[in-house]
Amino acid sequence: MDTAICFHCGEPIPLGTRFVVRVNNREQPVCCIGCRAAAEWITTLGLADYYHLRDVPAERAAPIIDFGAWDRPQLQRLYVRDHGNGCAEVCILVQGLRCAACSWLIDRALRDESGVVDIAVNVPARRLQLVWRPQAIALSTLLERLARLGYVPHPLDAKALDTVQRNEQRSALKRLVVAGLGMMQSMMYAVALYAGAFDGMDPLTRDFFRWLGLLVSAPVILYAGSPFFVGLWRESRARRFGMDTPVALAIAAVFVASLIETVRGGAQVYFDSASMFVFLLLGARYIEMHGRHRAADVVDALARLQPAMAQRRKSDSSIEIVGTHELETGDIVTIDVGATVPADGVLLSGECQVDEALLSGEAAPRRRLAGESLIAGSVLRSGPVDLRVVHIGAQTVLSSIVRLVSRAQQQRPRSMQLGDALATRFVAGILVCTALTVVIWLQVDPARAFTAALAVLVVSCPCAFALAVPAATTRAVAVLARCGVLVLQPDALEKLVRLTHCVFDKTGTLSCSRPTLQEVHAQAHLSAHECLRIAAALEQSSSHPLALAIRDAAAALPTLHAATVHTEPGAGVEGCINGRTYRLGHAAFALQRSGAAGDDGVVLADAFGVLARFEFRESLRPDTRTTIQALRSEGLALEILSGDEPVQVARIAKILGISKFCARTAPAAKLAHLHELRAAGAVVAMIGDGVNDAPVLAGADVAMALGDGAQLAQASADIVLAGDRLGAVVDARHVAALTQRVLRQNLYWAFAYNFLSIPLAALGFVPPWLAAIGMSASSLLVVLNSLRIRVPVTASEGVAQITLPAEAAAV
Amino acid sequence: MNIILVLIPLSLVLLAAATWAFFWGVNHAQFDDLETPGLMPLADEAPRERETQ
Repeated sequence: MDTAICFHCGEPIPLGTRFVVRVNNREQPVCCIGCRAAAEWITTLGLADYYHLRDVPAERAAPIIDFGAWDRPQLQRLYVRDHGNGCAEVCILVQGLRCAACSWLIDRALRDESGVVDIAVNVPARRLQLVWRPQAIALSTLLERLARLGYVPHPLDAKALDTVQRNEQRSALKRLVVAGLGMMQSMMYAVALYAGAFDGMDPLTRDFFRWLGLLVSAPVILYAGSPFFVGLWRESRARRFGMDTPVALAIAAVFVASLIETVRGGAQVYFDSASMFVFLLLGARYIEMHGRHRAADVVDALARLQPAMAQRRKSDSSIEIVGTHELETGDIVTIDVGATVPADGVLLSGECQVDEALLSGEAAPRRRLAGESLIAGSVLRSGPVDLRVVHIGAQTVLSSIVRLVSRAQQQRPRSMQLGDALATRFVAGILVCTALTVVIWLQVDPARAFTAALAVLVVSCPCAFALAVPAATTRAVAVLARCGVLVLQPDALEKLVRLTHCVFDKTGTLSCSRPTLQEVHAQAHLSAHECLRIAAALEQSSSHPLALAIRDAAAALPTLHAATVHTEPGAGVEGCINGRTYRLGHAAFALQRSGAAGDDGVVLADAFGVLARFEFRESLRPDTRTTIQALRSEGLALEILSGDEPVQVARIAKILGISKFCARTAPAAKLAHLHELRAAGAVVAMIGDGVNDAPVLAGADVAMALGDGAQLAQASADIVLAGDRLGAVVDARHVAALTQRVLRQNLYWAFAYNFLSIPLAALGFVPPWLAAIGMSASSLLVVLNSLRIRVPVTASEGVAQITLPAEAAAV
Repeated sequence: MNIILVLIPLSLVLLAAATWAFFWGVNHAQFDDLETPGLMPLADEAPRERETQ
């Protein structure tokens, strides 16, 4: 086999792996046992066509999990809806469901199972709705079938069965089609009427066609157009005129006027214009609704990352499987390899690798040692491990991220409120204009007064004004969220563009938050290795960053065991190894005398004196250099404000070529410095870790927190770089600049369009149907223009996108 | 021209029927997923490959 790509999942096959599967009499290479099992099973079911039909490779088959717990009544109560006639229904989010071929495969594989009554696979929603007979087949069996196909099933709340979203979408589609059909019919009658107006038509036939027009456009106005009237009612009760007011007034005016003309046999009817107006507006709203639902999907997907099940260790250390909602603080849970962490907690056993892609955006697993915390939603890559639950449910980091994101989506930034106010005033202006048009035309030519007034109402497009800002901002927030930048204060985007200064904290921002051991200076009879082993033994159970660095460095050496370890907070640790007492920590602590020569090193000592000195060093983040270069080339003034020792700060500043830096700065001094800069007219962004320097961040124009996992939730910042990637600053600035540009174009367009079209309409040059098209096209243009906002390709190179398993790919 | 007295009511009946059919379709999830059903007929073409096994 010359190709090294897995036949099933399309991932590269690791060297030295040789798994083969026979599909259609040809040997195909696969990357793992899971994929081989999935491919073999698909073939034995006679479903090998899947490989021809699909257009996206399958998700790598996950090791098969035991789904037995899903048969527990406590869980079924939450997730399964009983139909009463021996059937039950469940809605399952299928991770890995990507294209139509997947849905075909699932349908084929499950439909043949006895006991399955109905299956509906919905690819866009990545959902599977399953009706089955619980007496004939267990839910766990069905879920296991899904898992064997290579998909990961997540049963959803029974509430998801009748989602608000689906109903909204269905009713919007119905309204759109009713409006479309009604519009076509009423136009046909209108054509007949126009022809009649030129060639002559007896009044009876004319009235016949007018009544027909009324008949077909009535459902369009009353049913399809009802959202506008509901909106008018809402807006007038709130005394805030929005987009619905002029629209609903215009529709009502056209319809009622035509109705009166029809009854009394007047000059002209406008049923076709009214229906077309409703249809075009509904079309624009339908597109907008799709965008909104997609944005909601992201939040949805995040929320679903929490697993439904956990393995709780009972007091007799046997394991029981419980629902995640049943967990309590203090419970001990066991997590298997490949499983998702059910709650925030402290790692009890040994060390493990976890994939925290949801927070860090990095697919590379991170190492976690005993005593460190794991967060719900991250996936265990090595293990199994035990975890003591600390936070559950709504208190988990995952939940707070979901809250942050949804809060940010609901928040209306100042610019958006400005846009709203503009639209309200604009609507009031339009109503005045319309009144003036009527009054003036009544003097000149009463017959044309109505048409002209109508055209003014319809052609004016407050939507373009009202949509200009939110369309651009919402799009920008969504685009940034996808590359790991959470914008919590949409106002910050605008300030980001005007930025003149960028002030960095050092530790955890420019450098990695975890230092590495650089050198061990052995100063007595023991070798450096011996000293390192002793130090590692003393620090065995500590989670201090320096302790972790020492343990990291000593990982390859044989371990010693320290007895009676005693930690002196803020000073060091003392313990007994092979009968001798050692101290590790500040020089003053280790040597047990005050006023010892203090530097930032860590000293290992015994009763006779110093054994070794440990020197730590911070390493730069991998993308620090390129980010600093990029920001400098954009003409920003860069500074470092650090609380750290001058030597360390100077070293980092020199490497990065930043000339302005302040070391050993207290938070108050940092804040004062920021105030100084801002007083001099600078727009300052402060980038820190968001927890220790929260008050400092609050003093900057734009506060950006660069976080690693757990800290993010408490971060007080305008923008959170959840990807733990400094380069995101550059991306955020690019997107912000693009957003401002698009936003300005939108406003210019709205202004130009209205400025030109309203006088034309008032003068009677615009027929109502043209006004309807112009108005809809104008708001559509604003929305489409906003869709141009995306992360620039050059900036996003190497961007680790936040990969929400399965969801992100489709969103 | 009297024919329109028959044809127009007929068109209205057809229109009502089409709207009813469409509503039925929407309510029965016919429009929730527009991708997958398109592939369903292809599945029956497959036996030729299965015979070669």
